[in-house]
Amino acid sequence: MSATTRPAPAPAARPPSSRGVLGASAVVATAAPAEAEEVVAAEAPSTERPWVTIVWNDPVNLMSYVTYVFQSYFGYSRAKAERLMRDVHDEGRAVVSSGSLEEMERDVEAMHGFGLWATFSHDS
Amino acid sequence: MARRFRRTRKGITAGFEPQEAELVAGLLEDVARLLDGAAGETGAEAARDGEDPLDALARQLDAAPADAPEDPALARLLPAASRDDDEAAAEFRRFTQEGLADRKRAALLTTAATLRRPAPLLLTDDEARAWVTALTDLRLVLAQRLGLETDDDAALVALRAAEADEDDPTSWTASIYDFLTWLQEGLAEVLLRDLPAAGGPPRR
Repeated sequence: MSATTRPAPAPAARPPSSRGVLGASAVVATAAPAEAEEVVAAEAPSTERPWVTIVWNDPVNLMSYVTYVFQSYFGYSRAKAERLMRDVHDEGRAVVSSGSLEEMERDVEAMHGFGLWATFSHDS
Repeated sequence: MARRFRRTRKGITAGFEPQEAELVAGLLEDVARLLDGAAGETGAEAARDGEDPLDALARQLDAAPADAPEDPALARLLPAASRDDDEAAAEFRRFTQEGLADRKRAALLTTAATLRRPAPLLLTDDEARAWVTALTDLRLVLAQRLGLETDDDAALVALRAAEADEDDPTSWTASIYDFLTWLQEGLAEVLLRDLPAAGGPPRR
């Protein structure tokens, strides 16, 4: 994610960011198959919201814009939207919503409409 | 020199030199054209005379793309919806890609049209929302062309922009990217200030 409040057209130096995670497969730390199956089995009876929408970090989208998207689309408070934005930036990704597969497909499509890189995933 | 976006009593406004407005409008229209191939083909895909509506729908879905676009910039505008399930990603793409591309194209063209109106630029709230997403899509395409893939790359692009070498196409593209970033930051802050800090009704 990018943060800049530089005046145009005379760009000032941008503080180098400590990390870039776009395309870094290392951040997709999925559970080992056996472990994942155990978790699913244990939670299966009560998983009413088994799907999640994940937003991934990218070097283009601005911190202010991502906060705006989370607040305006999901109706989240400024504090929650900023916390999720920080999670995307610092951790490389964040779960921004959960629900049925149909709901998550709608959220992912909306995030793509905003130019954010989002995926749906089973919450295992 | 351009002036940053701000809210006035009349609406959201920003100042552009004529050549800046022309440049940005042209780039927005370029991205809209890039999306042409992925957007719905109006008319051509409509139900044929006497065709069963379900057959027509099946034919349209068969014709709809299941694979990611080959152009990496277009692929970033229309990304995969799943990282662990290729089949689900392909199905999602078949059902959503044309509509998504159509909406992106509409926002890009709306934004370009506001820049072709007589100055000063004065936006309705709907136009401002089209602007902020259109700037995102344009910046995503330019970022791909610049090879900007990580947050560290973003710092390098800023350095290339600072060189401001008119004979170097990369430096030129980088300075446009930088200018658009500055514009979008201002507009995102204006739109963010309009939202209640406690949260509000979701738009979903």
